[in-house]
Amino acid sequence: MDKEGTPPIPKRTTRSSSSITPSKNAAKPPKTSDPYPPSTLNDLIFGQPISLDSLLSNFPGRRIQILELLRLLGPPNSPLLPLFIYGGSSTGKTSIVLQIFRHLNRPFVYSSCRTCYNPRILFESTLNQLLLHRRKVVNGYSSAKRCERPADFVNYLREALNDVLTNLKGHLRKSSSEKLEERGNGRMIYLIFDNVELVREWDKSSGITHLLFELYDILKMPEVGLIFISSTSPDTYYSSAGVVEPIPVLFPDYTEDVLCQIFMRNQANPKLYSSFLDVILRPFCRITRRVDELSTAFSPLFKKYCEPLSDLGVVPSEDMKRRLFCHLQPHIAASLNEIFKFESQPSLEAEANKEKFTRKCNMRKVEGGEAFDEMDFHISTSAKYLLISAFLASRNPATLDASLFDSTGGSDNRKRRRKSSGKSIEQKESAEQELLMKGPGSFPLERLLAIFQCITSVAEGSLEEDQQEDGGLGAEGGDIGLMSDVLLQLSTLCNANFISKGGSCPLEGSTRYRSTVGEEMALKNSIWCLRSLMAKPSFSIVHSYLTGTLQKLISRFENDCHILGNWLTESFDCYVIVQI
Amino acid sequence: MEGENQAEKALILIRSRICNPSYIFTPFSDSPESNYSKLKFIISNSVTEACNNSILLLGPRGCGKIAVLNLVLRDLLAEHPDMVSVIRLNGLLHSDDNCALKEIARQLCVEHQLLFSKMASFDDNSQFMISMLRECGLAHKTIIFVLDEFDLFAQGKQRLLYSLLDAMQSITSQAVVIGVSCRLDADQLLEKRVRSRFSHRKLLFLPPSKEELQRLLEHILSLPIDSSFSHDYAMEFNAKLHKIVGDCRFTEIVDTLSGSDSTVNHLLKFLFRAVCCMDLDFGFLTLENFKTAILSIQRQPKLECLQDCSVLELYILVCMKRLEDKEQNSYNFNSVMKEYKGIHDSYQTSDYYARNVCLRAFEHLLQRELICFTDNRGQSQSVEFRPVKLLISSHELYPGLKSNRSCPLAY
Amino acid sequence: MAPSATPDSSSSSPTSDNRENNLQPFFVLHKALPRKSERKATGPVKTRRKIDLSPASPKSSEKSKADRIEEYEDCHYKPLRIEAFDLVWSRIETSIQDVLRDINNNVFNEIHHWVSESFTAIRSFERPNSSKVNRLYPIVTDISCKQLFTGLVFTKNVEFVDDLLTFEELGLHLKSHGCHVANLSSLEFSAKNGIGGCLKSLLRQFVRVTPDAADIAILASWYSERENCDNPLVVIIDDLERCNGSVLAEFLLMLSEWVVSIPIILIMGVATTVDAPRNILPSNALQRLCPCKFTLGSPAERMDAIIKGVLLKPCFGFNVGYKVAGFLRNYFLRQDGTLTSFIRALKIACVKHFLAEPLSFLLEGILDEDSHYFWSEKCALLPEVMLKSAFDLPSCKRDKMAEQTGENLANGLSELKRLRKNWISAVLCLYEAGKCHKIQLLDIFCEALDPDFFNKRASDHQSGLGLRKGGFICQAVRKVRDLPVARLCQLIKIWEKNTDGITEIHSKVKELLSMLKFEDNDKSLKQDLSHTSKRPTSRSHLYKDKGTKAVNEKAAILLECMVRDYLQPIECTPFHEIICFSNVDILQSALIGDPRRTIQVDLLKSHNYLQCSCCSKSNNSLLPSMHDTSIMYTLAQEHGDLINLHDWYQSFKGTITCPTIKGKHKMKQSPLSKKRKTNESPDISEASIQARFCRAVTELQITGLLRMPSKRRPDCVQRVAFGL
Repeated sequence: MDKEGTPPIPKRTTRSSSSITPSKNAAKPPKTSDPYPPSTLNDLIFGQPISLDSLLSNFPGRRIQILELLRLLGPPNSPLLPLFIYGGSSTGKTSIVLQIFRHLNRPFVYSSCRTCYNPRILFESTLNQLLLHRRKVVNGYSSAKRCERPADFVNYLREALNDVLTNLKGHLRKSSSEKLEERGNGRMIYLIFDNVELVREWDKSSGITHLLFELYDILKMPEVGLIFISSTSPDTYYSSAGVVEPIPVLFPDYTEDVLCQIFMRNQANPKLYSSFLDVILRPFCRITRRVDELSTAFSPLFKKYCEPLSDLGVVPSEDMKRRLFCHLQPHIAASLNEIFKFESQPSLEAEANKEKFTRKCNMRKVEGGEAFDEMDFHISTSAKYLLISAFLASRNPATLDASLFDSTGGSDNRKRRRKSSGKSIEQKESAEQELLMKGPGSFPLERLLAIFQCITSVAEGSLEEDQQEDGGLGAEGGDIGLMSDVLLQLSTLCNANFISKGGSCPLEGSTRYRSTVGEEMALKNSIWCLRSLMAKPSFSIVHSYLTGTLQKLISRFENDCHILGNWLTESFDCYVIVQI
Repeated sequence: MEGENQAEKALILIRSRICNPSYIFTPFSDSPESNYSKLKFIISNSVTEACNNSILLLGPRGCGKIAVLNLVLRDLLAEHPDMVSVIRLNGLLHSDDNCALKEIARQLCVEHQLLFSKMASFDDNSQFMISMLRECGLAHKTIIFVLDEFDLFAQGKQRLLYSLLDAMQSITSQAVVIGVSCRLDADQLLEKRVRSRFSHRKLLFLPPSKEELQRLLEHILSLPIDSSFSHDYAMEFNAKLHKIVGDCRFTEIVDTLSGSDSTVNHLLKFLFRAVCCMDLDFGFLTLENFKTAILSIQRQPKLECLQDCSVLELYILVCMKRLEDKEQNSYNFNSVMKEYKGIHDSYQTSDYYARNVCLRAFEHLLQRELICFTDNRGQSQSVEFRPVKLLISSHELYPGLKSNRSCPLAY
Repeated sequence: MAPSATPDSSSSSPTSDNRENNLQPFFVLHKALPRKSERKATGPVKTRRKIDLSPASPKSSEKSKADRIEEYEDCHYKPLRIEAFDLVWSRIETSIQDVLRDINNNVFNEIHHWVSESFTAIRSFERPNSSKVNRLYPIVTDISCKQLFTGLVFTKNVEFVDDLLTFEELGLHLKSHGCHVANLSSLEFSAKNGIGGCLKSLLRQFVRVTPDAADIAILASWYSERENCDNPLVVIIDDLERCNGSVLAEFLLMLSEWVVSIPIILIMGVATTVDAPRNILPSNALQRLCPCKFTLGSPAERMDAIIKGVLLKPCFGFNVGYKVAGFLRNYFLRQDGTLTSFIRALKIACVKHFLAEPLSFLLEGILDEDSHYFWSEKCALLPEVMLKSAFDLPSCKRDKMAEQTGENLANGLSELKRLRKNWISAVLCLYEAGKCHKIQLLDIFCEALDPDFFNKRASDHQSGLGLRKGGFICQAVRKVRDLPVARLCQLIKIWEKNTDGITEIHSKVKELLSMLKFEDNDKSLKQDLSHTSKRPTSRSHLYKDKGTKAVNEKAAILLECMVRDYLQPIECTPFHEIICFSNVDILQSALIGDPRRTIQVDLLKSHNYLQCSCCSKSNNSLLPSMHDTSIMYTLAQEHGDLINLHDWYQSFKGTITCPTIKGKHKMKQSPLSKKRKTNESPDISEASIQARFCRAVTELQITGLLRMPSKRRPDCVQRVAFGL
């Protein structure tokens, strides 16, 4: 798609546009009359035709393709072999084709296979347009014909096309009596199918794809032109039966300078923007050359770029450019590495700094540094422990648990555990490899509960103390074993998409879970656990264990550019504490 | 102005010729041993002798099976009016027996001005068809069933074919079944009970030979010398055309064309493009038109895709290639990222981007279908863990990298 | 009743809240049980599971309790209590709703503002005239026209239970401002229904038609009608995390092609973190979003607001004791931080209170304005028994009252009310003080309720105020000392509002305020002086700082004495039992489900659960009259990880056929053992034993205690739950 509103109507109002006018004021009836204008053949025409040069100027860098298409479409009433227009997404395929038809002012029927997400809807919407049918209250928004089978579709299509064509002839005769100028909308009708690549997913037997490509031979109507628009090249449609390949037209991705032209169009202050583009365009083009992605990346950057300026009408001088660039530079790298950013409402900043409030409540023990080491949403304590144990369960081979935890998980003979945990870490290193491949492993509920029990068996104690510090709240009566309601927590985590549940009959009890927590999350979480349990000597098992995960996470993150340094320092110092 | 008008008329004429198969295949009809004559002989026999018959027309796509058949039928209909009625089915549309029979019934109704009920069941329809066959047999009318994409009918239980051919066993009926398929082994697909009822007469359609192509060219492109065009324009047009066709460079072009694919359809596409390139102001075909046409016909889709790729996407492709060179038989986004990091560490390249950006590039590649998932099973798993494979070979990758202008890779 | 009550929280909240949450192994057994406890509590009773077999059993236990209540109460006070409960609870409920609405309100307004903004933005692309809207091709070809305005609403809570309600309200709010609103839940975005599912429900909610093929063109043509086309379409998706990524992506891509002709504005609820959308959606769908971030009030804030609005309103009679409060707090922080469960707990507490406390109907008195009059007339005609019971309450046993007349009771009650009022104002002052340092009301509230600290304070006056070090109250007081002047000023202003009930404190606060006033204006005066010369300014600054410090000190002292004198927990006042609920165990048993544990306990000690007479004298010895499943499970205890089916079966058979049962046991028996009797009959068929065995095994499997034999070991089942 190009950055382009509807192009201006050419000044010279030719007869052609005057021939459209009746349809237009049919389209906009006085408020009193029936809201639905009578559907005429003009509904098949884009309306307000535009001149060739405005067409070309609207789509910079697409001159070749436009001219080629125009040649292929040929003069009015000249039959057409099926066309196949393809090219990467957002290279202007659809809009150019539509604008070309606007320019040629010929009737066409457009149906996008994205909007029409299954054969039936595709068929019906095509027919609706051909039959000039309009869904409204009176017909209960139903479509003109109900057709699901390709066979019915072809029959209906034939009928519909036939009477549309006869109408067109009549229309043409009428308009020629009006001395319509040379390129009237002609006796041809064109069917445009967009996003054809999606059709392949509909049915693996590729029946519909085949049908669409064969449609021309099946219909045997020279007055019907078929145009397919796809984002993948024709050879991806290969099927064993072999398809008659339509005539391909390639829309290559925009090159850098074309992109520059595109972005330069309708800018308030071209000079300024061009200087901006000089800075920004090259680095971004190394990542992607898609107009949409670039434009979303640029608009905030340009705001940043303009920040120092008092008036945006200014023509930047060299040193001003330099200063602006220096101002911009820090933001470039950030936005290069970001694909999805959003600004919050300025007036909501109040909430933003309220957040700390919740943080504080989440874990009171943590002194300082709560800027990073907590999830900034409310998650109950036991859910946290469950989360970490799920993480451990899915990141480690089950064989390791035995050496680290057992279901009792008490603090007896800690020594052995220390050693084995030390060794376990190397084992985990080796396990790292197929973690890359297989991703987090899945685990049965029981294993999760065992680990959870082990961690909490120590954690309970910590919570006691934690209460002492909180002011002994409910230490005796109101205390709650974390173990209870663990399944509630589990379902919560599943809903929050932290743990994914393998589909199987729950009755067999063999439902397998898998932790899908990102590592940053896990890092925060495990840091939290370490901190909240720091005091316990009895916790050294889980300590060393969590620290094992921590180490790896950290080492994973170290050279990752978008990880905050203080995470590392923080987690390292709790690591140190553990070692002592 | 006048010339342009002429030229436009000529252009439209030629285009409509190209789009009209029956015009294209008329030149093949005259010779006695052509498929046309054979087919016509067979069918007209069974029409006149009032006997049943069945034929298979085999041959690769775009060799004018249907076109020739249509020619034959047209002539037959002209010769024996109201003795022949044609039922056309297409495997793509009617491969399922039920709707095929429905369609047959519908067309029969249209033929004989009966009214057709949509509600009719499979049995009703088959009954109806059989009775119609008998009726027509008694009235000495031949029903010609044309089954396009015949192989698709042979899928499934073949109830349609069976009931059709079985009905033809009775003496009273009088029908011809013509199967058209691009699978040369179409008759092997038939079940035993069907095959036994099927007469194994086959007509093989082959791509035209060189001379035929030549004749075809002339036949399509040359303007008629009659009132429709001003005489001298037509003469000049044909003369220029003749010169071009005589030209050796042109013959080269045609050779390269038929080298890749010598079917008529391919030629037609080529001609269509060439004609579309014709300059209306100049008003005549030139050799350049054909050259541009052949260029646009010969495409290297993978290369095009590679040229569209951004540098980051190329990086990812190269990483996957390296992984394959290391005989790492299966890999996914994560391992690719590891490799990518490795490259970055070793070569200290300037472009080392964050994970999510790479993931986006990775998805772009998936959309371009330069890479794809090895299996469709792991839908539940997230993209980064599903194993992927390259869809391009190194022979395609290297030239792609070379041709790509902004490609820095020291690989 | 405890075990039967436990699963209340565990089963009802997940099943009712996320319906698609397919039955989890451990809910199956207990799903229907809680109703029994509810019948005691809130009334409606439903079906019962087949596991508890004696219909008589729960009755009996209830009966006993009920009797205990009834024996010393006049029957016509029960209706009084009921109506008192209705009154109180309705008050509480309404006020809770108001509080929550107020909390959400400003965010809602933000959202609405943003919606209208983005609607105008969309309109600015092109106003498609009515001839074009029902064209199926994209009319405008601008990049920014393909972007969907998306509001990401961050509900800072993994539990989405509270937010379901919030999003409904948001929908209503927007509707009331004239938007067309549709609420989609994650159920519509399941891989099974595909994109058709969400389109269908979209059409159902907007167009109110259900076509057999949901085509978005329908929506377009509906929107093009004149009466619709001037308002934005808002689609609310409550829980982004639970949607199926691919379907949602398809949906977004499709919508983005239609933005101009159908100006749909999305609002998505995000429970967890900022990168949740990034994790779920592929980049090309992400590309189409033009997001904007909103943040709902965090659960902690809401909690504080509720406590302030409900428990700290003098006009609400109902109170909770220290332990109950502590329990609620821990439950909120540790188990599930949902207000829904908190409110449910509060309600249960309320109900239990009114049921258990015979005099609780007097609570109604607090609600109406002239409560003393109310009480005196009520107490006047209390019967002896009731009066006696009132004065037998431990709280007034503690300090010997005068003769037990209704008069005294009334006085005591009004005294109680007054004390509570002071307490509340003190707590609020503390809260205000602690607020600027992010000390939560919840914590202060709980600590302030603690009786023994108050007693300690009461015992030793001289040692300042015997506050626990590091306690929140202590912190709050400390914080007052080092407040900047401005904040201090605000604080004291608020105090002035809070303390107007207590005259002397009020006056103190007033003079503090005046001091501050004086401070300010002489400071300002100093300021103008300071323009002339440097020296005096510095001195003046010194002086001024000293001044403010003094004020801070005073304020702190004031606060301390407030704490000392007025922070008297409700549980330290006579008659508090009448208005204050302090029985944790009931609440805990009603809220905390520990299903795994409970299941096993019930199975092992099935007798005290289904109190059938037959097994009464069985102390842990297996009797054939026991229920098969419990027999089986008890037997299973002997085995290890794997249970050999054959051995198990043999031991089972041995148990149920052992002839240790007296004949007369069979006479009076629960249906359970009636069935048994048939099998007991001399020709006890192998087949029936096997049948019972199988049934028992299935039940154990359903409860998730067993796993079916694997391919490798077909002869063994696997025990999956160990320990309690």
